Amino acid sequence: MITRILGLLRVISSSFTMQAKERATNQFFVGTLLVLPIIFTLLSVGTYLYGGKGDFGLFAVIGAGMMGVWNANLWTSGRIVEGERRGGTLSTLIASPTPFPVILVGKSLSNAFASLISLVVTFATGLIAFRLKLDITYPAAFVISMILTLISMTCFGLVLGSVFVLSRNAGDFMEAANYPIFILSGLMFPLTVLPAWLRPLSSLLAPTWGNLALSSSAGLIGENPWLIDLYLIGLSLAYLIIARVLFKQVEYRVRRDGSMEVF
Amino acid sequence: MTAIKIENLGRIFSTTTGTIRRTRKDVTALENINLVVEPGELFGLLGPNGAGKTTLTRILSTVLLPTSGRAEVLGMDVVNDTKHLRPRIGMVYGGERGLYWRLSGRDNIQYFADLYLVPPEVSRKRIPELLELVGLKDRADERVEGYSRGMKQRLHIARGLINNPDVLFLDEPTIGLDPIAARELRNVIAELHQKGTTIFLTSHYMYEVDALCQRVAVVNKGKIVMTDTPTALKQLVANLEVVEVECLDASAEALATLRAHPRVESVNVENRDQTQVLQIQSPGGVGSVPEFLRILEAAHVQKVVTRQPTLEDAYVKILGKEALST
Repeated sequence: MITRILGLLRVISSSFTMQAKERATNQFFVGTLLVLPIIFTLLSVGTYLYGGKGDFGLFAVIGAGMMGVWNANLWTSGRIVEGERRGGTLSTLIASPTPFPVILVGKSLSNAFASLISLVVTFATGLIAFRLKLDITYPAAFVISMILTLISMTCFGLVLGSVFVLSRNAGDFMEAANYPIFILSGLMFPLTVLPAWLRPLSSLLAPTWGNLALSSSAGLIGENPWLIDLYLIGLSLAYLIIARVLFKQVEYRVRRDGSMEVF
Repeated sequence: MTAIKIENLGRIFSTTTGTIRRTRKDVTALENINLVVEPGELFGLLGPNGAGKTTLTRILSTVLLPTSGRAEVLGMDVVNDTKHLRPRIGMVYGGERGLYWRLSGRDNIQYFADLYLVPPEVSRKRIPELLELVGLKDRADERVEGYSRGMKQRLHIARGLINNPDVLFLDEPTIGLDPIAARELRNVIAELHQKGTTIFLTSHYMYEVDALCQRVAVVNKGKIVMTDTPTALKQLVANLEVVEVECLDASAEALATLRAHPRVESVNVENRDQTQVLQIQSPGGVGSVPEFLRILEAAHVQKVVTRQPTLEDAYVKILGKEALST
């Protein structure tokens, strides 16, 4: 049992490293990490400032940072499955003794931690372009919130990953879903401007709570960051349970339909 | 215990046509397959493209589910017992896909060693051994994207062996390789067999199966047509000689007349760039050549050769005239 657990941890670690090595050779991803956060910050903060809502500037910086994290993490993780399918490695991975979600955890975590770069770029852009300095009120809570946000986004990525395995068009779907998710998670505009009937949907999304956790630990909103962190932990566990159930179903379906190599 | 046991196995693929009015169509890829492969055997599955070879390999390597019947590998059910079976088998599919091109060959094998839960102290020793076995030791730290097709194929073999599998599935491993690379790969396969690995090899190259396999199953249109040793299969055509006629333009009428000739068993037509090569299996052999040439008078015959039959000729005979003739 212990040997198996150690083996699976080694898979997570080597998937993490492998993804990092592949990413380093992918200029497109480097662009996603460095260029997109600048664009998001300029657009998002600019919208508030020139709309006469300068008070929301820092809130917009964190929102833009989360958009960068989303792009570098979940969107790219979706592309992981698509890339494996196109490269012909998906069937080899699924036929290996390691459960596929474990492989995906390592790869997604790797992207998640790389996405921290985009957060730094966002804060730097806010500071240089708009002189918005983020004074973090609760530094310890901010760091914990950041880590939990990344973990929660990774777990959310696992749920989506099962859909990616199932469908060859998942990447296109993710592209189309990008902006609706930015809006639903309150990354572009405060959640309070959303209609009430949409808010339950927002509460199911990891970026919503990641954004709230970071904003509250930075002192931008009056919520208790530790409570939001607890919610992030609960949400991550729920994602993991859903992902486990889904992957079992998905593996059966792709073996039944013979769709692992179809793209 | 047998290495592989297949009972009444079948696989049907469903496809749909049309955009608005969708019509479902079932395609039978495998039908009523029965087969036993013994431990340590190098077993060949021979058949033309689309015969069902890859489908069968994918079912046995747990990537695809059958729609009927059952299959066991090492006594384990390929549908339900994947957790225990997967660590003990290896699979190599033909072609260049299935590797991480942006990583080095060594990184690729190391990654799959981890996925197969090979302990680090074992993989540290095994990876250099495998790279040596497949002749990639000196290029192991280069990115795979710079490898030739043959090198990628050999890397596939090394990857498939990383868990020291009891049964190795090789699906058309030499497809698309140049003759030298194919020969090198065949040497690797023969070496693995000598070390005791059970190998299930699919191919549509007769020479390959003849050179490597102890037993062969000929599969066509999803059904096993015959199973025997290559020598026994060649016995089917032992009383025949093969007359190869290279010509420019054999008409359909001439071919029909040839096929109806009492001293002709079968005629296989191979279209090359500028010419056609007719392989005529005949018990008459050399003695019948003048008659054949009379029938092919208008076909501008360039060259005539007679030779002893090979496994390929047995294959042509087994599959029947319609399967390979054009």
